[in-house]
Amino acid sequence: MMDLSQEKLLEMYKKMVTIREFEQSLSEAVSGGTLPGFVHLGIGQEAIHVGVAYALRPTDWVSSTHRDHGMLIARGADIKRMRAEIFGKVTGYCKGKGGSMHLAVYDKGAPGCNGILGPSQTINNGIALALKKRGQGDVAVVLFGDGAAHRGEFHEALNLAACWKLPALAICVNNQYAISVCFDDACAIEDIAARSSGYGIPGLVVDGNDVMAVYEAISETVKSIREGKGPALLELKTRRFKGHFEGDPQSYKTPEEVAEEMKNDPIPIFAKQLLEQEITTEEKLKAIEEDVKKELQEAIEFTEKSEYPSLEEIYTDLVYEERRAV
Amino acid sequence: MVAYGSVFDNNEKVNIVRRVVLGLDAMGVKDVFFMPDYFGIGVRAVEDLEVSLKANFLDMKIENTQDDSARAADILDKLGVACIITLGGDGTNRVVAKTCAETPLLPISTGTNNVFPSMVEGTLAGMAAGVAAMNSSYRPDFIKQVPRLVLKYGPEIVDIALIDVVVSKLGFIASRAVWDISTLQEIFLSKAEPGNIGFSSIGGNISDLPPADGKGVHIVIGPGQHEVKAPIAPGLIRSVPIKSYRLFEPGEKIPLLHTPAMIALDGERERIEGKNTHITIEIDVKGPWVIDIPRALQQAAKQRLFINPNHLRR
Repeated sequence: MMDLSQEKLLEMYKKMVTIREFEQSLSEAVSGGTLPGFVHLGIGQEAIHVGVAYALRPTDWVSSTHRDHGMLIARGADIKRMRAEIFGKVTGYCKGKGGSMHLAVYDKGAPGCNGILGPSQTINNGIALALKKRGQGDVAVVLFGDGAAHRGEFHEALNLAACWKLPALAICVNNQYAISVCFDDACAIEDIAARSSGYGIPGLVVDGNDVMAVYEAISETVKSIREGKGPALLELKTRRFKGHFEGDPQSYKTPEEVAEEMKNDPIPIFAKQLLEQEITTEEKLKAIEEDVKKELQEAIEFTEKSEYPSLEEIYTDLVYEERRAV
Repeated sequence: MVAYGSVFDNNEKVNIVRRVVLGLDAMGVKDVFFMPDYFGIGVRAVEDLEVSLKANFLDMKIENTQDDSARAADILDKLGVACIITLGGDGTNRVVAKTCAETPLLPISTGTNNVFPSMVEGTLAGMAAGVAAMNSSYRPDFIKQVPRLVLKYGPEIVDIALIDVVVSKLGFIASRAVWDISTLQEIFLSKAEPGNIGFSSIGGNISDLPPADGKGVHIVIGPGQHEVKAPIAPGLIRSVPIKSYRLFEPGEKIPLLHTPAMIALDGERERIEGKNTHITIEIDVKGPWVIDIPRALQQAAKQRLFINPNHLRR
């Protein structure tokens, strides 16, 4: 527990800042009209992405939602290829065909973000079953929101994972809003994690805005899963600072609520912890932030210089059968 | 994830509160004040309940943090209530104890990892609280002031714990819980009994340690004098190496052995003390006043409070 070196802690801070700056630049691109389509940002949820990613091993798998650019960056995806993908460029991870909502980075154990809420949990069971058969102690992790936790797939997937003792970790990122529906209006209980008892598996609620709390909880949980003790359900309580999608004015939140959410920004919280414990200095944190800005600028230029896929690419990378002539 | 503790969910808390209210009503209590909460435990508990007492809800903003309990206890104390019934663990009671002043507590445990509150049926708790309300014009024998551990910078109290102060080399508050023995440095206890769960059991399980009885117990962790088997959490039994241990008197100020350090109060990591901290830990007998439920009910029986005065023997 807490086996993190000073270097690792600063790397985690850098990842959090990278995710924030990366997504902030996407937000600007949407409002500036250079990035069309739906983009869902996880600004305010960086502690979850980094805390989860650093508690896992490279051979674990992580499935996520349409709000998880940060998860892929935290797992080590290259922000140049991430941005190129989101802008539909051929240099992107999926040759520009996946975009923001279907980004997959297989060599980082990321089988893809999923725009459909719910199925990622059942798909994750399949990955977990494969990992169990492989027998190397790897874990399949799936992140989903509080809205998805009210869908049938949530219950079906947890039940099956528990019956088969799969090495699966279900993480509910409870940001209190399912699109515009407030959690308190849609859920009969206070904590999604309490549903774990219905499937005889451990459940835990964690402060999702404290990266060290997330790291510690995930580390201990996956330790138990790797030992073959079966799945677990973790609920990470957090807030999203932006709307459901870019352009959503969040008219369902009061200005006071938005102001209150901002007080729990995970990045300053982590910076304060690092400074209080004399792990780093203000100057070093500033230098990290400057580095991130430079790297982001390089990613922006890389994306701008990259081409869109050619028309012929429409017919490649498809799973299909030739239709027989009738 | 590391222990096998049980926690009562909010629906079960509603049921407990409902039974507490029925107990209070049976003892003739007229007014009950509830702290509001997001789940609406109090509201749900009294909904459709056929009782004569009046349910009042404190007019306070809730933030869903432990500060809610602290502010509620302060308001209740100022209202002059006969007692404050808490549902929670050692941590919740620690927060309430900071602001409840002289108002007695009736702590009901809502988990299996607690020392301060009692695992008690809500009906009995409600009846005992009713007995306290009927005897509120004086301080009856069944209400006792308990010791507390006090953290000080010089003469200034910066925090308190009701049961244990655990010092560790952990770097972050993170998930708050403490379970890894290898990170522990020293433990201060106000209660050290073998029947307890948690760090209190470490002191209790050192066989030749006399009962603390108002004194504190200071244990230094490390290889040396003993290795003690203790249930540090539900289902989590560990062998704890004890370098040294001793009782300390009220008023004796003990500085930390190692700094920087993480300090956990009543089971939760709360404070990080820097290299040059001057923090000291001592025990005093100015903790909260606590209702002893069985003794309260015994006294009520002696006072014939359960006998119906209108019943005429034929």
